[in-house]
Amino acid sequence: MKYAFFPGCTLESAAEELMISTKKVASALGIELIELNGWTCCGASHIQDVDDFLATSINARNIALAEELGVDKLLTVCNTCTLMLRTSKLKMDKNEKLNTKVNTGLNNIGLEYKGTVEVTHLLWALIEDYGLENLKKTVRVPLKGLKVANFYGCHILMPPNIMGFENHMNPRSMELVAEALGAECVDFDQRLGCCGFHAVFPAQKEVMNMTGINCLSPKDAGADCIVTPCPLCQMQLDAYQPDAQKGFNEDITMPILHLPQLIGLALGFSPEELAINRHVVDAIPALSKGFLPV
Amino acid sequence: MEKISCKIKRFNGSEAWYQEYEVPYEKGKTILWLLTTIREEQDPTLNFTSACRHAICGSCAVRINGNAFLACNTPLDEVIETFDTMTLTFEPLQNFEVVKDLVIVWEPKMEKMKKVKPWLEPTANGSKETGFLQTEEEFHQIAAPTDCILCGVCASECNQLTVNQDGYLEPFILNRAYRFAVDSRDGSPEEHLRPVLENELWKCLHCMQCVSKCPKSIPLTDEIAYLRSETMKMGEMNNQGAKHAYAFHDDVKKKGRLNETMLPIKTDGLVHTAMTKVPFALRMIKKGKINPFHFPKEVEGIAGVRALYEYAKEVKD
Repeated sequence: MKYAFFPGCTLESAAEELMISTKKVASALGIELIELNGWTCCGASHIQDVDDFLATSINARNIALAEELGVDKLLTVCNTCTLMLRTSKLKMDKNEKLNTKVNTGLNNIGLEYKGTVEVTHLLWALIEDYGLENLKKTVRVPLKGLKVANFYGCHILMPPNIMGFENHMNPRSMELVAEALGAECVDFDQRLGCCGFHAVFPAQKEVMNMTGINCLSPKDAGADCIVTPCPLCQMQLDAYQPDAQKGFNEDITMPILHLPQLIGLALGFSPEELAINRHVVDAIPALSKGFLPV
Repeated sequence: MEKISCKIKRFNGSEAWYQEYEVPYEKGKTILWLLTTIREEQDPTLNFTSACRHAICGSCAVRINGNAFLACNTPLDEVIETFDTMTLTFEPLQNFEVVKDLVIVWEPKMEKMKKVKPWLEPTANGSKETGFLQTEEEFHQIAAPTDCILCGVCASECNQLTVNQDGYLEPFILNRAYRFAVDSRDGSPEEHLRPVLENELWKCLHCMQCVSKCPKSIPLTDEIAYLRSETMKMGEMNNQGAKHAYAFHDDVKKKGRLNETMLPIKTDGLVHTAMTKVPFALRMIKKGKINPFHFPKEVEGIAGVRALYEYAKEVKD
């Protein structure tokens, strides 16, 4: 299995641990990831506020770079990157006039958007391409007794006309993967909650409140940790957790893992190999309580 | 016979409780049929609003299993399939005051809507005698936003409103501001845009709930992007939202990628960042999450990326 790989900015700087764990896990699963040469930031749901046409163009360029590699799919591990790339793709595929206009700009720099590459996320690729049965076969350390709270994040689900992998009001993909790894999934109110990351600057007070609620909800449901397919949700819930704590009397402590880290644990990697020790909220005690040998 | 088990949140003005009803399943019905059947055959005290039954009046929106729907145009079978259950929990819309059972109060929202001047401020390019003609293209600008039936689904699901009902505007209010700001017959778009900006426009979380659940498929998030864009064109750049958006815009042009170390400073300024983000930055550095000395290099093909910026500017002018 071979994919063009779009890491996204966060994996290069603030979530390098996700770059490490994604590469290790992909390699262990026999998935080849070819990083796009010269990829740019997807716009992170901000550039369209300045210039919508530009936002479409830069992502059409990213997709065109993947098309040159002759692969079927461009894979990301970030919800927002996936949404931004798919938004551009949908516009390019459905709007002929816009397609011509954007392609004129791309042709000027020696590129062409053809529309031959799909944009996917690791979570989807594991279910759709790799297969859960195959995933189960790779498990070396079943995550028995680990209670995980799956925090989907908005941009892997919505808007459904752009994402559409599963029903946005009742998704199952995260549970299917976590259960394939042997973990126990906990149901909690904020399972489909919003992390608030994209407005953490202009709406700091509100987003810190949301972070507290997002941590308390799975805690009350008895979860050992949150798992999310998005590095931005991870950063919001983990790195801002000490700030969010200040607004709450009760202890909101909740370890937050990236999806590839959870998979990596089941494949037999140590928390250190997956750089889980880099998270702000220490996840290792929670993992030791579960399946890891103390 | 198969039954649908309904758990409905009741409220009598002071106390709230969940009451259970069972309704024999019938194929091809709507959610409104289900509620009406309960009221007519089992409990005349159950309160909910509805009128047109054709998704025009917007009065029958409710929450089912934690998601808002317009009851009259939502097939029961679709809801059963979505949640894979015959047990449905009904609640009133969120982010509204509740009068009784599933009935919500609209008056404060209408008062709030007046802030954005939801009426046409006519241009000078027309008169009673000559009319205010629009081209087909100009008409299409307002076609989608005028589809709004004020059902309240977007407001119910808005994650910013849930934590900030006083400050933030309901998505349907933002839609109304947009509808007049883009109308070619309106001569004072700033009259609609300025109050939107002053009422925390930049606090939209991009959660996509409103656009995903609007029963009229109004592109609410595109409209919010337009409102932001227009306020920046008015020169309203000195705020965190605009600075944050431009930080991304400029970083991609400069290097192709985001400089996460500099992002807070570009958004909040050096002084504010030093005052508020230092503990955050230190814990990120301590854990090895962020390397303050990592400055992105120019990506391969950066000249091409910059050419796309130039091109975008050309085709816009």
